[in-house]
Amino acid sequence: MKSINNWKSLVLALLSVMLLNGCGFKDIDKRFFVVSIGVDTAKNSSKKYLVSLKFAVPSSSKNNPTEFMIVSEKADTMSEAVRIIKTKVDKEIDFSHAKVIVFGDEVANQKGNSGINYWFIRRRDIQSIAWVAIGKPSALEVLKVQPKSEYIPSNALFLALGRDGSETPYTISEYLFDFKYRLSERGLDPLLPIIKAEKEIFEINTVGLYNKSQMKLVLNPEETKILNFLRNREEKSANRVTKGKTVIIIDTQKVKTKYKIYTPRGKAPYIKVLVSIEGILEESTRRVPNEKLSDYEKIAEKSINKEIEKLLVKIQKANLDPIGFGLRYRSRHFNNDDWEEWKRIYPTIKFKVKSKVQIEDTGLIE
Amino acid sequence: MPTNNVQSIKESLIHKLQQPEDLVFKENHTKEKYMEVLYIKSISDEDVLLENVLKPFFEITSSKEFLDFLQSHPKASEYECEQKTIDMVMRGVAILFYQDFVFLFDCKMDRNNAVMDTTVETTIQGPQAGFSESLPVNLGLIRQRYPNVSLKVESTTVGNLSKTKVMILHDTKFVDPDTLKRVKKFLDAIDIDMFQTGEQLFDIIKKSNRALFPLMLVTERPDRVAINLASGKVILLVHGSSYAVILPTVMKDLMSSMEDIYQTYWIAKFLQILRYTAFNISIILPGLYVAVSSYNPELFRVHLAMSIAGSRTGIPYPSFVEVLLMLFMMELLTEASIRLPKAIGPTATTVGGLILGQSAAEAGLVSNIMIVIVSFVAISNFVVPINAFSFTIRVLKYFILLLATIFGLVGVVIGFFMLLAYMVKLDSFGEPFLTIIQSKPSKE
Repeated sequence: MKSINNWKSLVLALLSVMLLNGCGFKDIDKRFFVVSIGVDTAKNSSKKYLVSLKFAVPSSSKNNPTEFMIVSEKADTMSEAVRIIKTKVDKEIDFSHAKVIVFGDEVANQKGNSGINYWFIRRRDIQSIAWVAIGKPSALEVLKVQPKSEYIPSNALFLALGRDGSETPYTISEYLFDFKYRLSERGLDPLLPIIKAEKEIFEINTVGLYNKSQMKLVLNPEETKILNFLRNREEKSANRVTKGKTVIIIDTQKVKTKYKIYTPRGKAPYIKVLVSIEGILEESTRRVPNEKLSDYEKIAEKSINKEIEKLLVKIQKANLDPIGFGLRYRSRHFNNDDWEEWKRIYPTIKFKVKSKVQIEDTGLIE
Repeated sequence: MPTNNVQSIKESLIHKLQQPEDLVFKENHTKEKYMEVLYIKSISDEDVLLENVLKPFFEITSSKEFLDFLQSHPKASEYECEQKTIDMVMRGVAILFYQDFVFLFDCKMDRNNAVMDTTVETTIQGPQAGFSESLPVNLGLIRQRYPNVSLKVESTTVGNLSKTKVMILHDTKFVDPDTLKRVKKFLDAIDIDMFQTGEQLFDIIKKSNRALFPLMLVTERPDRVAINLASGKVILLVHGSSYAVILPTVMKDLMSSMEDIYQTYWIAKFLQILRYTAFNISIILPGLYVAVSSYNPELFRVHLAMSIAGSRTGIPYPSFVEVLLMLFMMELLTEASIRLPKAIGPTATTVGGLILGQSAAEAGLVSNIMIVIVSFVAISNFVVPINAFSFTIRVLKYFILLLATIFGLVGVVIGFFMLLAYMVKLDSFGEPFLTIIQSKPSKE
């Protein structure tokens, strides 16, 4: 009797496991892997979007690189577009390796995209660690680029955005989960890198700042670098400092930024930003002796202070908050109307930037 | 002890032995004395008999002295009962009828007493000699390595027909009396006609609780036996087998090689980690391949996904058929290479492994990745040092593969947990199978 009960419970356990069987059995060669997704506005059509999927076509031989195929469809929603694209390809579309989502420039600039923004989150087969970016001149153009160095379609983008390949302070990459978080969080606004498609290469050195619904401001490469410093994301960079006729470039090795929001009673609130930079002198137009380095440090501090403040004010003028000052304020103030309060404070808040530059050596033996 | 009915014993014995061809019954005379010898010449050592009995018989003139000689000879013992005497004759003991006495003279022929090299549990360093097929020689080998008075040797017989002598060795200082009791009870309970070697115990213990894992360790290495004696294990030596059985055996023992103590600390640790990794790979990998490539390809990096998808293009069958096909081929190869004569062995491996694998991939039956996986599984299977255990692993992977085919990645996880649960449940003579992690249940 006991053994029968054991068997019963075993069968029951197996049957209940059957319920967990979410995705069906489908061989890997019967799947069509999407490597990147592009969303543009549809031209000359009543439909709203032009959705393009870039598929990797695996080659059976190791000698020729994997090829790709782009299928586009006009539709009002993502879901419809994907369903129609399904009818155009022979295998099951698999989004599990779709790691780059590109919005066209026009899509980024228009309002009312929350439907597609959340579609990516809602689909469980699209990984939340996919990168989101803005494509110029259009998402489709970005998808079409095929750098000579890439072996797997879109791999160049994966490497550039994922920092596995080149490490540069001019690129800000944004994950899908973070993008969604920033879209909904009060006091932290989304920012997306802008990918410019050229003939055979990409150029990713600017960033587009969003408010909660559309792109409002585009930063130039230098500003992007400063923003990266402020977010503590990248430490390797080159900073130009001019002193009279001498121009030196500091190769930074350590950049750390701290900020604190002060709201003294009766006085204007301000944000104190502390930046510490360590680096070595990489290039200079004239000979720089070791003992003169502190002079250059001072000048560098001054120019960096100015640059950072300029950027912060620029962002503030556009009423954006990609760094998350608002969120920091809300986390430190516990009254019920903290968000309203911050909205009142932010447009007039002052920035006090204090930087500390340390040039370790001139890079040469004297 | 003199008996009056020497004549009736003699006749009864010869009658019971049924006069086989190799039975020798000889009368020896000198002037003073008269002796009869009875033995089976194919299993008795006639040289020993000649040296120890016949020569003195003719050298010692006095009949009284010769009686004293026999009575004091260490190899001679006196007659006790008929049945025992017949058993002894069948093992090569000679019966001496002298005056009113009947003596049993031990002149068993000790064939196969050559110490053999280890062939199954080979190591690079450390002793290379294994056991012989002779019980006394084996006992001697162990005693040489374990010269302690606390080493206790008991013996019993197993097998209704074979009446095989089995020696139970243990160190009284270290052995767990409960375990010893269980082992003896187990040996007594064995009901088998022919018992020839310790490995048969696998099958016998299986009948009592159908264990998938070997719950005893069969070894050919005297050094392993000595070390296990010192850690309180019970050793069984079986007459005519060059393998000793170590009880109780847990997973830790099955995964240990003698090499572990012949290497420096970190290297031994590294080798152990390697072995456990190989164990897991061997069990999980085929299932994992099916689960990941057919259910959850997002688990791969995109490069790997592409190359697997690429190598699978044009494969007519789903992944699990592909895996089964290759695994089946590998099993056949493994089995065949055991059976094949040594001279053909390497040829078969080459033809089977290299050519068959290569052409299977080229013919588009299986993907290139599959060949890599199957070879990986096969190689890691043989990393496990104890052969009996690696056979278990060979079977286990199909279980995981089945679950993976039906349930995907969840199946692999569930299967692994079921395996773990099963191993937790197992015990070997009261010792939990996963002894490093599990503790012994408290005595009820």
